[in-house]
Amino acid sequence: MSGIRRINPRRPFRITREGIRRIVLGEEGDAGDITLSPVARAASKPLRLVGEATATLLVVAHSDRGALDAPAREAIAAAAILADPATAVLVLVLGDLAEELGPFGADRILVVPECGNGAFLPDLEVSVLSDVIDRFQPRHVLMPDSPTGTGDLGRRVAAALDAEIATHVVELKPDSVACYRQGGTLLARRGLPRFILLDPGAIDAALPFRGAGERLDYAAHAVAPGLYRDLGLKPVAGAALPLEEADFIVAAGNGVRDVPTLEAVADLFGAAIGASRVAVEDGRFPRDKQVGATGKTVQASVYMAIGISGAVQHLQGIRACRHVIAINSDASAPIARRADLTIVADAQAVMQALVSETARRNWPGDALDEARADG
Amino acid sequence: MDSWQLRIAVLVSIGRNPVSGAARPNRNDLLALELARKAGGEVTILHAGDPNEPALADYLAYSAAPLETIPLPGGQDIVPALAARLQGFHLILTGSRTEGGEASGMLPYALAKRLGLPIVAQALDLAVAEGQAEITQFLPKGQRRRVTVGLPAIIAVHPMAPLAPRYSHLRRVSGQSVALPAPALTESASTAWRTEPARKPVVLKAGEKKSGHARMAAAITSESKGGTLVTDGTPAEKAQAILAYLRSHRLIEF
Ligand SMILES: Cc1cc2nc3c(=O)[nH]c(=O)nc-3n(C[C@H](O)[C@H](O)[C@H](O)COP(=O)(O)OP(=O)(O)OC[C@H]3O[C@@H](n4cnc5c(N)ncnc54)[C@H](O)[C@@H]3O)c2cc1C
Repeated sequence: MSGIRRINPRRPFRITREGIRRIVLGEEGDAGDITLSPVARAASKPLRLVGEATATLLVVAHSDRGALDAPAREAIAAAAILADPATAVLVLVLGDLAEELGPFGADRILVVPECGNGAFLPDLEVSVLSDVIDRFQPRHVLMPDSPTGTGDLGRRVAAALDAEIATHVVELKPDSVACYRQGGTLLARRGLPRFILLDPGAIDAALPFRGAGERLDYAAHAVAPGLYRDLGLKPVAGAALPLEEADFIVAAGNGVRDVPTLEAVADLFGAAIGASRVAVEDGRFPRDKQVGATGKTVQASVYMAIGISGAVQHLQGIRACRHVIAINSDASAPIARRADLTIVADAQAVMQALVSETARRNWPGDALDEARADG
Repeated sequence: MDSWQLRIAVLVSIGRNPVSGAARPNRNDLLALELARKAGGEVTILHAGDPNEPALADYLAYSAAPLETIPLPGGQDIVPALAARLQGFHLILTGSRTEGGEASGMLPYALAKRLGLPIVAQALDLAVAEGQAEITQFLPKGQRRRVTVGLPAIIAVHPMAPLAPRYSHLRRVSGQSVALPAPALTESASTAWRTEPARKPVVLKAGEKKSGHARMAAAITSESKGGTLVTDGTPAEKAQAILAYLRSHRLIEF
């Protein structure tokens, strides 16, 4: 024995996206397992629920264009963490649903496509939620305390049922909830009430397990027209919005030199403009556009990061963003790990292509303009 | 219907200065008061609590409406007493959340239940016509929603309502303030709560029993969920890849 530990040069390895061969100690992997798609990894997590569920925790959330936002996923994770192995997490989705909720911790799912997408239907939603509570008898009902969404619905139903409720919950434990009082100088705590309305950020949505994600059939009873009438949404133009409120942000970093083209891209999507610290400090954008630890924290559904490396200080500001799209000439920039879609290319070329590729799209307004031009 | 007079009640609470803790009018309730003034009609300001609270007089300074106080000791459920006084009003306006006290935002909903009235929250603006209120509601992400509700109704005003209440010292000293007869004491408000000094809340995380190897693997891979990577193609094809992604998630409509 020479005393030197010898390592088998042919032991299993995997190739990362950057093309680097990586040996994972203790893993039985087959050599050359290249992609680790998020779906594949989610499925590899163990199921939380074992056997028949004897109790239910209910989560209620609105969907927007078929997807749930970060506070909704936190509420599902909260229920999955609180639930014991014999308790199912039932998620009532108000609005249509186009994504899997099992990886977020949902065991059973009810979908009510008539609601959601910003519709004001308090009578229908109160009726649906009361009916679901009646049928499934959940021990607790958890929902995001979103002012016009489930925050409104939860208060309505808790008042109607005369049930105990905790709102603006900033801390959740298996046996208690806490929220601020007296302008944040006191923390008030109590045992878990029937209704728990969670403030964003109270829960870490990362789970080591997954839910069964089984969709149940549900048909909402129609309700008679009541006293409320919805006259519809009117959006405020993206550029006029403060960054914190914007739903679509086009953000520029050090890799963007041509600000007018960037503005054209933002215009295309009706997006607000954001910037990295470097781009702000170079004077290309005003300070109030800076996103990140020392700038603004944003909640947009879409965050398009153009020529931004994705430093942790920057990523801190976009934690709540649902879809991140990166355009970067460097495939190994950290932003590529955060982004749902990374385009490896020169920013300038892609920005120009975005503008020219959409020049012929059918705006309702364009058709009018063309008709006018023809006539 | 000229003789019809819109009667509006504005519910006000006592706010507190976030720095000094001194009592003052609640800013959100002042916005409700201003919105009531704008809507026109006969306004009554209503408070349940200590009639001798000096900060109450400040509400008089922001409107010509009389102030009525229902004397109630702290810790009492104010809903029954308010509900009894609120019979006969067409509109009941309030802020969305108190600054002191419970700050749960439940009051308008509890009153709506008790009085059997509809409630619309997060109101930025309000107009009354033909027995209906038309409300512009605040929605996040730059959206506004217009809804109507049949009167009588309760409306909770959003803290960002674009209104500028104006202070007048003359009104403060000449305003009319009455203490109503004290109601019989009823059940105390919920006592399930215990308070403790504020501190940074602890985020709830899933407990995880992991081997060293699993933790290592997570450190390498978990945050690097990494989405689709598009490296090949012309700029036009790459632009189309972005548009296709946005379309498939219904984030754009072209
Ligand atoms: C205490 C502290 C606080 C901070 N707070 C913030 C903050 O709030 N917000 C913030 O953003 N930063 C903050 N930073 C700075 C942060 O660490 C980074 O330095 C900064 O975010 C980098 O900006 P960037 O990505 O635009 O620039 P760079 O790091 O220079 O990255 C530019 C990126 O663009 C790519 N690129 C270059 N040319 C092209 C091209 N032609 N086409 C496509 N891609 C191209 C490059 O590959 C690179 O990935 C903070 C730092 C500290 C120390």
